[in-house]
Amino acid sequence: MKSTWFEVARPQKIDLNDWSQHFRLVRDEQIKEFNYYHNPEWGIYLSPPATFMVYGARELKRLKFDNSLASLRMWGFVFNESERLFRAKQMGKRVIATMGDLGTVPVIIMAFPNCIPFYPECIWWTPFFKESTVLLDTATELGIPEAACFSKATLAAFHKKAYFPKPDLIFASTGASCDDYSCIMQLVNDLGYEMLWLEIPFRRHNDEQYPDRFEEYLISEYERVWNKMVELTVINDKTGLIPSIKKANRLRSLAERIKQLTYEAPITPLPALELMTIEFGNLYGYADLDEWLDIVEMINETVAKRVEKGIGVLKQNAIPIAWITPSADPLLLNLVEDCGLRIVGTEYVINQALVPIEENVEPFRALARSFMKASLIGSTQERIKRIIEGVKNERIKGVLVTNMLGCSHCAMETRLIEKMLSKVPVLSIDVPVPFGITEQLRTRIAAFAETLR
Amino acid sequence: MTEILNPRERFGLLVIDEKPDRCNIIPLITSHAATVAGIKLKEYYTDGEAMAKAQITAIEEYEHDAISIFSEVGIIAEAMGSEFNYPDDDLPVLRIPALTKFDIDKLKIPDPNKDSRLPVYLEAIEYAYSAVGDKIPILAYVPAPFTTGMMLSDPNQFLLDTIRNPEQIKKIIEISLEAAIEFSYEIINAGGLPILVDPLASGSVISPKAYQEFALPGEQGLIKFLHRYDFDVILHICGDTTPILDLLLLTGADLISLDKVELNLAIERLAPKMRIIGNFNTTKLGFGSPDGIASQVREMVKHGIKAEKGYIASTGCEVPIRAPTGNVKVFISAAKEAGWFLD
Ligand code: SF4
Repeated sequence: MKSTWFEVARPQKIDLNDWSQHFRLVRDEQIKEFNYYHNPEWGIYLSPPATFMVYGARELKRLKFDNSLASLRMWGFVFNESERLFRAKQMGKRVIATMGDLGTVPVIIMAFPNCIPFYPECIWWTPFFKESTVLLDTATELGIPEAACFSKATLAAFHKKAYFPKPDLIFASTGASCDDYSCIMQLVNDLGYEMLWLEIPFRRHNDEQYPDRFEEYLISEYERVWNKMVELTVINDKTGLIPSIKKANRLRSLAERIKQLTYEAPITPLPALELMTIEFGNLYGYADLDEWLDIVEMINETVAKRVEKGIGVLKQNAIPIAWITPSADPLLLNLVEDCGLRIVGTEYVINQALVPIEENVEPFRALARSFMKASLIGSTQERIKRIIEGVKNERIKGVLVTNMLGCSHCAMETRLIEKMLSKVPVLSIDVPVPFGITEQLRTRIAAFAETLR
Repeated sequence: MTEILNPRERFGLLVIDEKPDRCNIIPLITSHAATVAGIKLKEYYTDGEAMAKAQITAIEEYEHDAISIFSEVGIIAEAMGSEFNYPDDDLPVLRIPALTKFDIDKLKIPDPNKDSRLPVYLEAIEYAYSAVGDKIPILAYVPAPFTTGMMLSDPNQFLLDTIRNPEQIKKIIEISLEAAIEFSYEIINAGGLPILVDPLASGSVISPKAYQEFALPGEQGLIKFLHRYDFDVILHICGDTTPILDLLLLTGADLISLDKVELNLAIERLAPKMRIIGNFNTTKLGFGSPDGIASQVREMVKHGIKAEKGYIASTGCEVPIRAPTGNVKVFISAAKEAGWFLD
C-alpha cells in the first residue's frame, strides 16, 4: 500500500514540487474517496497544489504546505470552491451570497434544504494566490477609489461572473461594521444585483439597555432574512435552525480545539497557514459544510496524533507571537514561520464565527448573542482583550499587526493597538499588493524575530 | 462588444460547463508564433525563452485565448534517442530513428529536465507562466504514445509492424506512454496544462482497428494520469477522424480537437459527452482571402457554439508557419463576432 507514506512521513512543511511527488503515491481509490456534494462523478477534489497552480494560482509555486493527507484534502477542497459554487447552481441548489456579517447569516441559510451560503468577500485572497492585480484593476475601472482595500476584488468578481455564479439572493450587512466594505456593497447593488440590506448595530457596553435592545433588533433583522428565504424556497420550517446551529457549533468547537492543541503544544503541530484556513472555514464551511466538517475532523485527528507523539512542523524554540488582522497575503504566514516565529493567538476580525452559539435559547436570540461578539462593532480595547491576556501570562512574546493597503480601520487602529500593547514588542507591517513582498519586508520580520529572541 | 473576461477566466468557465462572455478562441498558433515575432524557427525550438517570448508576442498581436507551447511531435522521441536535423528556418526533421540504432530494450525514459530539447519546452512554460500565467492559460502539447512510437521507428516499418509484429509495437507504445507521463508531470510542475496531440493516429494514417488497438490505449493511459490531477484533458488528432468518432469517446478526453471532420456530425456524435474544438481548414488560412475566411469562420462558429458541453473556435491543425498575419486576425475577429454569448 503505497500511500502509507502519509502515515510514516515526518510532519513538515513541503513545497509544490514535493507535493507533486508525494501525490504520485496516492492511490486512485483514495482520490475518489472524497467528493463534494456527495457527487463522485465531478465532485472529486483531492488534487495536489500543482493542479490549482496550473489553473492560475501562481503563489502556490512559492508557498509551503503541511504534508499531511488531511491538509492535502483541505487545500483541494478550499481551492475547488469556485467550481463547487457553479456546480451547486447547475444541480439546482440555491446559492446565497451573505456579505459583511461574517459568520451568522449562513447559519440561517443552512436551515433551508439545498441552500448554499457563501461570502463573496473571501475573493480577497484570490489576487494574492494568483499574484495578480486583474480583479483589483477591474474594481478600479468600475469606480472604486484607489485607496480602497483588497476587498474591492469582490466588486470585480460580481462584474465578471467568473468566480462564483449569480447568487439567488444577496444579504448585505452594513452599519456599525466596515464603511469601506459598505461602499463596495453599494457598488455591487449598482451593478444591478438586488440585495436585502441588514443593519449591524454598534456594541455599546455602557448602554443601560444593552444587550437586550440590540438582541431584539438583530432578531428582527434575522426575521427579515428568514422571510426572504421563505419567499425564495417556499419552505417555512424553523425547526431547521436547530440542526443548523448544532452543526455550526460542532465546527466551531472543532476549530477551537485544533487551535488550542496547536497553540499549547511544545512543538507546533500545524502551520499557521493551514490554521488560518481552518479558522476562516467557520464562516460558512467553504460552501459545503458537511464535507468541510469531515475535513476538519480529519485535521483534528492528525493534529491530536502529532501532539501525542510530540512531533510537529516547526522547531521547538520557535517564538510564540499573536497576529492581529488577517494576513491577506498567505505568503506572509510562511515567512513569519521561516523567521523562527510561531502563531499562538489571532484576532482576524471574525470573532463572531468562533464563539459557540447557545443551544438552549430561541435560535435567533442565540445567533444575535453570538454575533454581538463581532470584532468590528465594538472598541479596539475589547478586540484585543484576549491578546492582552496572553501577554500578561507570558504566553505571547510579541505581536504582529498587518495593515491592509487602503483599509481605513487598520490605519486608525494600529496606533491604538500599539499603545494598548505597550508591554510587548509589536511589529506592524503594511501588506503590499499581490506579488509585492520585498526583501526589505523579510528583513523587518527577521529583525523582529531577532529582537524577541 | 466589450470583453469582460480574460482568457484564463474564459477557459475556467468552459471547463466547468458555464458560458463565458464569448466562446474561447484558440487557433493552434504554435511555430507560427516565430513568424509573428520575427525570429528564426531554429531559435524558436531550441531556446525556451525565445519560444515563450514569441508566443507572448503572438497573443498580444492576435488576442486569442491561450498560449501553445509546441514546435513538433518528435520532441519526446528525440529525448529517447531519435536524431533530428535542425534546419535554420524550418522545423526539425527526423534523420535517424532511435530504434534503427539500437534495440527496444535499450530505450530509456528521458529526464525532461535534462534530455535533449525537453528542457527547452519546460523553460518556455516557466517563462510564459510567470509572465502572463495569471491571465492566460499555458497549454503545452505532449505527443501521445502512438505518435512518439512512430517517431522512434522507421515510420513505414512501424506501420507494417502493427500487422506483422503487434507485440513489439505495443511495447514501444508502453515505453512511450511512460515517457509522456514523465514529461507531463514536469510540464504540470512548470505551470502548463498538458494537451495530447496524436497526429499520426489520424484516420488518414491508420485504420480504425489499428487506432483502437495501438493508439487508443496510449491516449487512455495518459488521460488517466492527467485525470488524477482533476484536469480537463484536451486531445488533438489531425486529419480525418470521421471513421473513429465513436472510438474517441472511449479516450476519456474532455475536449476533443478535430481537423477534417464535418463539424455538425462531430457535434451530433461527440458533443453530449465532450467539448468540441475546431476545425477551420488551415490551408484556407494560409491561402484564402480575408473575406472568404471571415464568412467561413462565422459559419463554423455559428454551428460550433451549439455543442452542448462547450466549444472552442480553432483551426483543424497548426496555423501554417507563414500564414499571413492578416488572415489569422480575420479568423479571430470573425470568431469573436460570431461567438458572442452576452446580450
Ligand atoms: S480590510 Fe479593512 S477596509 Fe477592507 S473590508 Fe476589511 S475592515 Fe474593511
